[in-house]
Amino acid sequence: MEPTQSLLLFLSLLTHALCVPGEHHGHNDSRRHDYCVLGAGPAGLQMGYFLSRSQRDYIILERNSGPGSFFNVYPRHRKLISINKIYTGRRNREFNLRHDWNSLLSDRSDLLFQQISRDLYPPADAFPRYLSMFVKELGLRVKYGVDIGKIRASSIEKAGNRCYILTDQHGNDYTCSVLLVSTGLWVPQQVQFVGSDLVEGYESISVDPEAYKDQAVLILGKGNSAFETAQSILGRASRVHLYSPSPVRLAWQTHYVGDLRAVNNELLDTYQLKSLDGLVEGGLEDIAIVRRGRGGGRKRRGGRRKTGETKEDERKEQLYLTLAELLDGRRGNESSKVKAENLPGYHNDNFSLRQPYDRVIRCLGFRFNFSIFDGSARPPHSGGARGRLPGVTAWYEGRGTPNLFVLGTAAHSRDYRMSAGGFVHGFRYTVRAVHKVLEQRYHNNAWPATKLPTTQLLSWILKRVNEASGPYQMFGVLGDVILLRGSYCEYLEEFPLQALPQFSALSGHTISEQGFLVLLMQYGLNRTDTLGPGRAESEWTRAWKSNFLHPVLYYYHKLPTERDMRQRPAGWPLPRPQAVHHMIEDFLTEWDQPVSHSQPLRRFLEHCLQTDLRAFYAETCFRLSLTNRKPPLFCRQGYLKKQGIVGNHHLWQNAREAGLMPNHQETVSHNSEDVPFPEYLKHAGATVASAMNFDL
Amino acid sequence: MSIICALALLLCVKSDPCMSANTSKLIEHTYDSLTEKMPSGKVSFIYFGSHVNQAIELFLEQLELSADALEDYGISVAKVNCSRENVEKFCTGGKVMKKAYLFRGSEVLRSFDIDTVFDVNAIVSHVLFTVLFNEVRYVHTVTDLLNVERAAKGKIDIVFGHIQVLGLPEHRALMEAAFVYGTKYQFVLTTGGPVLKHVGVEEPSSLQTGLWFLHCKDISSRSEPCPYTALRKPLTIVNIHTFLQLMEAPLVTETRQDPPDVDVIHRHLNIPVLFLFSQTLTQDLDRATAESLAWRLRGEAGVVLIHRESPDVKTSLQYNAAYQLAEEVLKYFTLKSIDEAVKLFREKILQEEEEIEEEEEEDAEEQSVALDALDDEVAESVYRDRDLMLDLEPIRELTSDTFNSAVTQNGLTVVLFYLKWDAVSMAFIQSCAEVSDALEDVSDIELASVDCGEWTDLCGDQKITSFPAVVIYRPGDPAVTYRGMLGAESLHRFLLLSQVSSPLSLSSHSDLLSFMEGEIYDKHSSLSPVRVLGLFRSAQDPGITVFVEASRILRGEVLMGIFTNEEAEKWVVEHSVKLPAMLVSRGPGIQREAYSLNFPSPERLVTHIQHVLSDPFPELTIENLPWYLERGKPLLLLFVGGDENSGNAGCLREIGNLLKTGQLESYVPCWIHLGRTPAGSSVLETYLGVVPPLPALVLSRLGADGEVFHFPPERPLLADTILQWLREVENGREQPAGMIPNEELRPSVGFYDFLAIMDREVPGYAAQRIPRGKSGAREGRKLQPQQEEQRGAHEGQAPGASLSPGTPHQHSEL
Repeated sequence: MEPTQSLLLFLSLLTHALCVPGEHHGHNDSRRHDYCVLGAGPAGLQMGYFLSRSQRDYIILERNSGPGSFFNVYPRHRKLISINKIYTGRRNREFNLRHDWNSLLSDRSDLLFQQISRDLYPPADAFPRYLSMFVKELGLRVKYGVDIGKIRASSIEKAGNRCYILTDQHGNDYTCSVLLVSTGLWVPQQVQFVGSDLVEGYESISVDPEAYKDQAVLILGKGNSAFETAQSILGRASRVHLYSPSPVRLAWQTHYVGDLRAVNNELLDTYQLKSLDGLVEGGLEDIAIVRRGRGGGRKRRGGRRKTGETKEDERKEQLYLTLAELLDGRRGNESSKVKAENLPGYHNDNFSLRQPYDRVIRCLGFRFNFSIFDGSARPPHSGGARGRLPGVTAWYEGRGTPNLFVLGTAAHSRDYRMSAGGFVHGFRYTVRAVHKVLEQRYHNNAWPATKLPTTQLLSWILKRVNEASGPYQMFGVLGDVILLRGSYCEYLEEFPLQALPQFSALSGHTISEQGFLVLLMQYGLNRTDTLGPGRAESEWTRAWKSNFLHPVLYYYHKLPTERDMRQRPAGWPLPRPQAVHHMIEDFLTEWDQPVSHSQPLRRFLEHCLQTDLRAFYAETCFRLSLTNRKPPLFCRQGYLKKQGIVGNHHLWQNAREAGLMPNHQETVSHNSEDVPFPEYLKHAGATVASAMNFDL
Repeated sequence: MSIICALALLLCVKSDPCMSANTSKLIEHTYDSLTEKMPSGKVSFIYFGSHVNQAIELFLEQLELSADALEDYGISVAKVNCSRENVEKFCTGGKVMKKAYLFRGSEVLRSFDIDTVFDVNAIVSHVLFTVLFNEVRYVHTVTDLLNVERAAKGKIDIVFGHIQVLGLPEHRALMEAAFVYGTKYQFVLTTGGPVLKHVGVEEPSSLQTGLWFLHCKDISSRSEPCPYTALRKPLTIVNIHTFLQLMEAPLVTETRQDPPDVDVIHRHLNIPVLFLFSQTLTQDLDRATAESLAWRLRGEAGVVLIHRESPDVKTSLQYNAAYQLAEEVLKYFTLKSIDEAVKLFREKILQEEEEIEEEEEEDAEEQSVALDALDDEVAESVYRDRDLMLDLEPIRELTSDTFNSAVTQNGLTVVLFYLKWDAVSMAFIQSCAEVSDALEDVSDIELASVDCGEWTDLCGDQKITSFPAVVIYRPGDPAVTYRGMLGAESLHRFLLLSQVSSPLSLSSHSDLLSFMEGEIYDKHSSLSPVRVLGLFRSAQDPGITVFVEASRILRGEVLMGIFTNEEAEKWVVEHSVKLPAMLVSRGPGIQREAYSLNFPSPERLVTHIQHVLSDPFPELTIENLPWYLERGKPLLLLFVGGDENSGNAGCLREIGNLLKTGQLESYVPCWIHLGRTPAGSSVLETYLGVVPPLPALVLSRLGADGEVFHFPPERPLLADTILQWLREVENGREQPAGMIPNEELRPSVGFYDFLAIMDREVPGYAAQRIPRGKSGAREGRKLQPQQEEQRGAHEGQAPGASLSPGTPHQHSEL
């Protein structure tokens, strides 16, 4: 938390102002809430679930009559490209969420998307149905038909203690101490150029392939919507060209699910096999689309012609792509005035896009709706993503709009083109993280932490690495933080990494002088040929060169500062730590092997904790406890607490053969017959052996 | 001559026989001898210390070695015992002193942390480095080096050494050479950095050590750089010495003798020599060839030009060259070009180097074997069974679907929660299988397991955070976590005893009698003959809840009974205790004990019962040691052998008698039978350093200062001799026979430092970015649009870039 902000929060706590959650329960005002969630899409409902579970005063406002209305329209061709993999061969719920990209998080094991659809790529209609089920089963408080048109910060505000006032279509005001904006992105992104009015939008094009029969189509954009559109008309259209500034980025190469998914990439095939379709790069701002009659321009009569034919030709006008600068500054777009020299093909006879098109379609994605925010409540435009998204802090609070958080796709500016924060399977975890921040800030409930004996840390890390879905989906963004406290440690799950400098304020936990570890998943930094030889590493000592998703642990003595974060090594999610450990990428994503995974990790932890973390049989602990005033931690936390691991002859033999346990049998005679000891010595109940024979 | 002396000196330093073998050169100063010695102006290196721990002990050994080494340089090495001599200013800093000082006379030149001067190499190198501080120039940048060069031109040659890490043998070698040759050459030292590029090192960070000879003496022009020669061998005293000899030798030796007779220094130094035959006609040309060859081979081989016209030269005319490698025969050949000669030598030398490298590769392989060898005994012993399919059939594998019904089906369900990758879990599961087998005939106990790697929800719901965990489910009762030893015997005993409800409600005198005499639950008598009985007059007694709760906690450990009746009084009359009371039976025929029951909390009662039941003179076993160690008292430990006739019983009786007198209150008297607990013998050996005759009595002050005392074996082990000995130990009149260390063990293999590897392989990759200045940022901004334009042009499709009227024709490819 920034210092000013925390000061203001402190002031607000002192003054007991109205806006602080939980302060106005006596008012019995149905339009006054601690938490208002704007939009009943997946992010809004996900937050609704967490608020409901922690029994907060919240309301979800939705202008449509049902949840997830975006999905009633989009994607236009009605196929979701989020993976719905039901058969993973595993029954671990947490693990299975790694391959379930549509479900929301809840403690109900049956509330999964697979209840609605069993298709790997499900139909879009299934999603609103799933969301409805989610609302109904969990009894979330959603108010439908409330169309918020204006949002302003309260006038009585004292900055840090501001509330937000939302006005709906009937002029009703909703007063919210904390506003959670989960409105998604639904305003189509447009670029202004000469003739942009001649362009159809993805939001309104016909989805009937027959409507494109034998037509030449130019699509602006090279994202998933552009390719999805192209794919649907491929069998009917004559030529399909895709035009945008940057080349195609393939999701399977970039590991970013927002890039072109292979599900949609049939056009790449027809392009590379030279079957009339193609991709072209070029800027959008300086182009122009002009209308021109077929065979328009100056005509030279070459013999007799029937007049009727000419007329028919002229009626059918076609669209040309040209450059604004070739139009001699003319703003108009009258077809009769467009001459051949206004077209690039006149100057450059093999210009790629010289042929006319029957349609031009814009598939440029969507932008955040900033217009409903009054100046007092409007978050700034993000630096990245062409300013289409609101700028937010690392804990998803609007920059400059305290108590207003942005959730879901709209919050994607944090990890745009990096991770999965713009997608259901990613933001369901960031929403959970934001909820933990809310609980700490407004209700003083520290970030949940599991206390573990230090000897259990290795197993626990391996458990998380092998099943955790949050860090797996939100790689490089969310990571587990492990606070080292000597003989025990505290394990916090899925903290937003970029907020580490504010860790103490956001989580309510402090860092001890033993430091802390961060566990996250990351893809390799030096991307090579994704399918080429040498793409995978198998030697654990070369783990830092792993290209695929793999766990990485960072060890710090103290929290990094904002400055450390800013100056972190190029391409790194975190600043240079005191020590780092990469776990070698694994083909099966199972990091549980003793030699390649477990032991190197243990040695790293030993280095960070400055202690021996090996396990020892009771016999060894017996020996070490009598011959060392500081026996190993494992003996102290197990054996000396009367919970040593005994083992059996077979295992001891193995350890002896490996030279890890001394062989006492050689030095001492094997005679174990009972000596006639005085009778009273035998009475110690706890030490008398049981009658069974345990030899293997 | 001086060179040979120097060599002799240098070699002496290295090789042991020259050292005076027995007498240590390390002086131990008293306060007086110190003050007397100080004003002499001699250089001395002194350690002030008092308490000696293991680290200091090691340091003192190294200090002693360095005394011999530094004597050759006229530097004395001494230590001062601060516990006897109080030297102001230096005898301060707590118990363990970690500073050593270098004096010239009484002036402190420098102080060292003993972590810096950790061994003889570090001591010698740092001390010489300090002494030579004014003579050896330290440089970091190229400019620094050029300044030195400029001053040296025409006057003196430069020896330029690079040592990445100070205090290692290479540093010592260089400093020793600087001491010997310091007047002859200008020594320059660097610890790395861009300066190395000046001598042709492309990646300075990857080079750990290096040495170059800068031939500046013969350079007169200021603009001309000093040519340099690199030492291509490891930095050792002998290599440096040899190298400097070679630098002194003339570039080309001209002679009129036949190769076998030529005497050049290279031959003495076992350096290859190349002979070239010159004819009078081509003499100048041949000399030029020889010189250019000599420059390229300098430091690696000597070049000799032989004037063929001399009658002494008998070599056949068909050869124009010959070479001789170290200790090999002379070989004649025909030289065609300079490159060929260089190649020839390089190959020969390379061959040797390759052999060395191969060895290094083997080392690397060995190292990776060491890295991959499991050093965790539990992990390794489990891993060795990876080809065995464990028979876990008797243990039922539960899932989220079957768990709830399973734990309500049986009278007792024991569930092991485990993780497959946790070696301790996998070792323990074997013990569970054994227990399950042993319980086959016992109905109503079922062993089951849950793989928490798969059923993560289930394990989360059961609040399992530690693995392995054993939880016992009994329908109607809260689940109980097993807190005993993770071994088959302990678990087996625990489960059998757990079957009996706790406390067992007894209703009649005959019940009571058979409970106390062990007739009820006879089969359990072998497991635990002990019975604890709570006696209450009425059901209203508030002590009942405490007793019942304590019994619940102790379920599985002790058989507990309860009798609530006015007649309970009868059972305590003989014990002079009033009700409510607790009666303890240790087995049939043994005198019962009675205690009054007045405990505020179940936990206190549990502690009391455990105390009452604990053995006053236990045989220590692997399983029970923790119970006795937690008392924190010194162990009075009798080690007895497996042999029958060694009088063990007598010794035990003596200590038992002593115990009865109450004079062993401040100890935990106990014994170890080395036949049954073989691990005890290595304990004994660690304590005393040797295995003494048995029985052996040892006092181990484990919880305190760690001192170990050994009862003199020649004295008889009798109650009063033991007592006498203990008094002497208490009064400090006995010498400890050993010391139990207070330092944590560390695994021998450290962690694999990925950061260091990154820094070495890709410098800068893991480095924090340096904030760019304003100008840099502006440049960055300027660059971006350009890049975009370029990209457009490259793709060929950007109309803005390539299609405006008048631009030259460009082919566009789709």
